[in-house]
Amino acid sequence: MKKMIKCTINNYPVEVEEGTTIIQAFKKLEQEIAHYCWHPGLSIAGVCRLCMVEIEGNNKLQIACNTVVQDGMVITNQSQKVKDTVRWGLEFHLINHPLDCPICDQAGECVLQEQYMKFGAYQPLMSEDKVKKRKVVDLGSKIVLDTERCILCARCTRFTDEISKTKELGIFNRGDRSEIGIFKNKPLENDYALNTVDICPVGALTSKKFRFQQRVWYLKKAPSVCTGCSTGCNIDVYYNEEGLWRIRPRHNSSINQYWMCDKGRETFKHVNPSGRLKSSFRHTAEQTEKMTTFQALQTLKLDSKKIGLVLTGSYTCEEYDAFLDFFQLHSIYHWKNNPKNFEDYDNFLIRGDKNPNTKGLLESINKRQLKLEDCTQLEQNISHLDLLIVCAPENHKLYPCLEEKINLFLKSKELVWISPHSHTLLQKPINTVWTIPSKTYFEKTGTFINHHGTRQKIKAVASIVDSARSLEEIIHILKTGQTDLTQIASIRDKMKTNYFMEQKGSL
Amino acid sequence: MSVTKRPKKSRYLIPIFGGMLLTFKILLKNLFSRKKMLTLNYPEEHYKYGPRFKGNHILTVKKDGSLRCTACMLCATNCPANCIRITADEHADPNVEKYPISYEIDILRCVFCGYCEEACPVDAIRMGPEWQTAALNGSNFVYDIKHLAHRENLKGGVQSVVDDKERHKAGI
Repeated sequence: MKKMIKCTINNYPVEVEEGTTIIQAFKKLEQEIAHYCWHPGLSIAGVCRLCMVEIEGNNKLQIACNTVVQDGMVITNQSQKVKDTVRWGLEFHLINHPLDCPICDQAGECVLQEQYMKFGAYQPLMSEDKVKKRKVVDLGSKIVLDTERCILCARCTRFTDEISKTKELGIFNRGDRSEIGIFKNKPLENDYALNTVDICPVGALTSKKFRFQQRVWYLKKAPSVCTGCSTGCNIDVYYNEEGLWRIRPRHNSSINQYWMCDKGRETFKHVNPSGRLKSSFRHTAEQTEKMTTFQALQTLKLDSKKIGLVLTGSYTCEEYDAFLDFFQLHSIYHWKNNPKNFEDYDNFLIRGDKNPNTKGLLESINKRQLKLEDCTQLEQNISHLDLLIVCAPENHKLYPCLEEKINLFLKSKELVWISPHSHTLLQKPINTVWTIPSKTYFEKTGTFINHHGTRQKIKAVASIVDSARSLEEIIHILKTGQTDLTQIASIRDKMKTNYFMEQKGSL
Repeated sequence: MSVTKRPKKSRYLIPIFGGMLLTFKILLKNLFSRKKMLTLNYPEEHYKYGPRFKGNHILTVKKDGSLRCTACMLCATNCPANCIRITADEHADPNVEKYPISYEIDILRCVFCGYCEEACPVDAIRMGPEWQTAALNGSNFVYDIKHLAHRENLKGGVQSVVDDKERHKAGI
């Protein structure tokens, strides 16, 4: 254990580990301190000169990010001297910054904007014209750069140097002409590139997909866990009444630190109301019958049938427990997204297992000592089954073998497809197919177990499709035949009212 | 609050005659000098409001005729009636960068407070002098870009005070 040392910050005494920098001590105390270039996940650059603090007994001001706390230090950033320095530092940053906040996509979550409203908001003293630089520079398929807005904090270049280790970005030219850029024919295309957009304190780097889609102050955020792969990165989901708009990483020191991969950022589209399965259907060769989920589960006769159960790793542990307890089968078929590269790992975050809860599925099955079989065995056994229940993956895009597997499932006498989405192949079957809408990770409460075995709770944020039911709720309906799920306290607590609208009310 | 006492019942005829006197006075005045009459024959005659009257919205245009609006959504954010709906998109010109592909005002929801005009950083939206908003169909009350910027009586659009080229020349 490291030695603890005492210091005083803004008149608050605090005890920190030896070797802690002043800015970390400020963050520990939750005291406000201005900073652009310092990021807890990156190395120290000390270029923005905004985190100035006054240390007692020290004539000159010091930068908090690169000064180590020593025993008995008395530190403040509330003095007039510090405030003046920050104000002048800001004036220097704004010499060439266009201050085009109305057009800028970062407005609302921009550190520079916040600082300007707090310390700035004055007439600039600079009499020279602003240096014009390149705008809307294409850095690749994901990111757009605006060199005018850039304040050269070098967070993005440090990210590509230290975290992704791809080294695409660099600072070119000198003086007031220096700007961020890429090398010739080497676009910023690595799998973690969009993290640079998150860490950019201003609107210099913007994501092409999210750019101009929404103003950030219209969005609410809710904590969740990424369902893109079995790493289980902690995320914040940004949403409003019209749907989900983006995903950003949330800090978790033991799993993803401050980062997440670009593929994980796209795992919100399948949650949005368009394209979702809105009610249950019974498809036969002759006709398609629309019904409520309750009706479908009532007409579905499970007694004295030989049932096969196909599970994927995209449901919560609680759902697996409820499902396995109800059906009491000896063997379960496990549908993997891609058996060949299922164990892949890129040594940082991305894993080949594209399910958030494969570990949870295995745990639930091992607890009951059931046999887990591969989908290849289903091919031989499918003719013996009367009914095949498929708990299909939440996000169909992550399953390249989807159509091939659906064709296999359609060979069964009766198929129950539980998923947030349907598929065109399911709508014109030879035998009977039931499609039942299920909830996505945004709408249900439960536990995911990631690849390392860490249990992570997710909480329902809002309901998006009213008729969608989680596996727990489906089992409850099958067991009791009760429509009103609000009667059960355990389920009622997890239910949320629908916050979304498909169209704004107009004439 | 002021409390007035009702006149006693026996005296109610006196105020009635007083009222009638006033009515006839105005009637006779209007009959003999029609020019000083206060009322208007509305559909044929129009009242002219002052230049600061806040009527139907106008989206201003640049010199080349394109919309001045940068789709910053400050008007929509500031709108207390929540009647403005903007969809932004990327402009081909990197100096313009962002522009609205659709700009809709639900005029029936609008309370004509003028906050949109006040929030706009680039003089892109103004409240014009028009106030007659009759239409046959409910959907006609949702004004789109075509109506807001290029309706016939604007005669080619109202030009914005702030222009992009001048702004760039001034180094802002």
